Amino acid sequence: MTAQTLTRSTETAVEPTRSRRHPSAGRRLLTTELRLIGRDPMTLTFVLVFPIVSMLIIGGSFGTEPDEVFPVNPSHWYVASYFSVVIGATGLIMLPVRIATYRERGVLRRFAAAGFPRWSFAVAQMAVGLTAIAVSGAVLLIAAAPVYGVPTVEDPAQVAAGVVIGSVLFVSLGVLLGTLLPSARAAQAVGLMLFFPSFLLGVGGPPPAVMSDALADIADKLPLAMVTDVIRQGWLGLGDATGTLATVGVLAVAATALAARRTAL
Amino acid sequence: MTTTDAIVSVRGLTKAYGGRTVVDHLDLDVAPGEVVGLIGANGAGKTTTVECLQGLRRPDSGSVRVLGLDPVRDADRLRPMIGSQLQESGLPDRLKVREAVRLFAGPDAVDADELLERFGLSHRRGYAFGTMSGGEKQRLFLVLALLNRPRLVILDELTQGLDPAARREVWASVTQLRDAGTTVMLVTHELDEAEELCDRVVAMRGGRVLDAGTPAELVARHAAAATVRFGLPAGRPARDLAALRDLSGVADVVRTGDQVAVHGDRSTIAHVGAWLVGHGPIPDDLRVEAPDLEDALLTLLEGPADQKEAA
Repeated sequence: MTAQTLTRSTETAVEPTRSRRHPSAGRRLLTTELRLIGRDPMTLTFVLVFPIVSMLIIGGSFGTEPDEVFPVNPSHWYVASYFSVVIGATGLIMLPVRIATYRERGVLRRFAAAGFPRWSFAVAQMAVGLTAIAVSGAVLLIAAAPVYGVPTVEDPAQVAAGVVIGSVLFVSLGVLLGTLLPSARAAQAVGLMLFFPSFLLGVGGPPPAVMSDALADIADKLPLAMVTDVIRQGWLGLGDATGTLATVGVLAVAATALAARRTAL
Repeated sequence: MTTTDAIVSVRGLTKAYGGRTVVDHLDLDVAPGEVVGLIGANGAGKTTTVECLQGLRRPDSGSVRVLGLDPVRDADRLRPMIGSQLQESGLPDRLKVREAVRLFAGPDAVDADELLERFGLSHRRGYAFGTMSGGEKQRLFLVLALLNRPRLVILDELTQGLDPAARREVWASVTQLRDAGTTVMLVTHELDEAEELCDRVVAMRGGRVLDAGTPAELVARHAAAATVRFGLPAGRPARDLAALRDLSGVADVVRTGDQVAVHGDRSTIAHVGAWLVGHGPIPDDLRVEAPDLEDALLTLLEGPADQKEAA
């Protein structure tokens, strides 16, 4: 190759015809990021393996008969609850660590210097987060089906709204945390600190009926517990959760707005 | 060169971090096709300057034009026209070489396979970035910087971590770029690299330009004298040395035991050599210490500030 072929002639005005078919920078970034999540051990561990393993363990710990603690089959209670473990792990661990790592290593500077549009990285990460939730959620249900069975969805609209709005909330939170925390280690520490209390109190730990009033009060106020309530109540027919869904929606709008402001490369 | 001709035109660029001024009223012009090196000690403001040129940092004051565009306001138009090899920046560890090339290749990209071949990376196409050596990573960054036929190439610490053979290969690539008329800005601590590659170097300290010119001009202006050393040949009367003092360019002749040191400007080297040949025998231990850009920069950095304010 000659050096001339490496440089742009100032006289060159004719766009090559292939440029019309060339994928945009945003699309190239999205495709690459989606390919990379499958190779990310953090994603595989916390978003895929951890929810399935813990669901299989705790789902079989309380039998299959409803009682004064569980208003429905306890296994089904946990199957319906654990979908939001995937949402929480994506937003509180996977995305913050991923984005903070990119910032720390100068990957974002490289993207910016190469002319990737300012919005493209944030959009790619949101798409990555939503894809991780969709795939891991589906695998969770596939794993649960032969062991505990997947309960019938009683209120599909509420469940769908809970999954979508809850996912948007936590994916935005993840992008926001990733842009705020100074390093990958900090993101990991803060992410785990936020995730496990939310997980234990609001999703996959003891049922609310056995918690002390103080713990139950705290759990009620955790965003991940709210998302879980909306999904679980709609899924298992335990009641209307429109008020909680509205709160989750407001939080999602706020988190998305803040994330959008923070993601200018 | 007028500012309208310049590929890069900077006037009064100032940038501070937390109250510490890193770039201080910097003026800089880079003409089309020039290879310009920014040299100076750590903290001289070199990297911040090129980051402002790329729109990665917003100047506190001053005007910056690159290819006639404002790097901050026109970032989306400008950045695809600049090929960057940035200091301290990386890629995702699990991104493979061929995926990196596909990711960064715009619609007008050159044949990436040929570039990878040229930089000795074709056998690494399927390897993840995190598994590559430092030199391979640097070469990949160069491939990415050159991929989209840039009009301006900014190379920050270009050959850091490269072995000597890889350095020479990269230097040859930059020379090719220069021959093709591409404008190159080189930020480097490797002064032999600047001397070899740059048409012009800009020496910086404390965010200001100390001096600018061709490497030879800076050496002539600031480097210490050349020195020719040799042992006094057996049988040569010491009084012969007096003749050396009369040679053109010679400033001083110092004898220490049987060792002689002749100091002077660069022409001293030729004149003393000719004298020794003419008055044989030629000493076996003849040594020449020629001043280079490193000597010039050290002199500049040790000198008073504000020697020159524009480049």
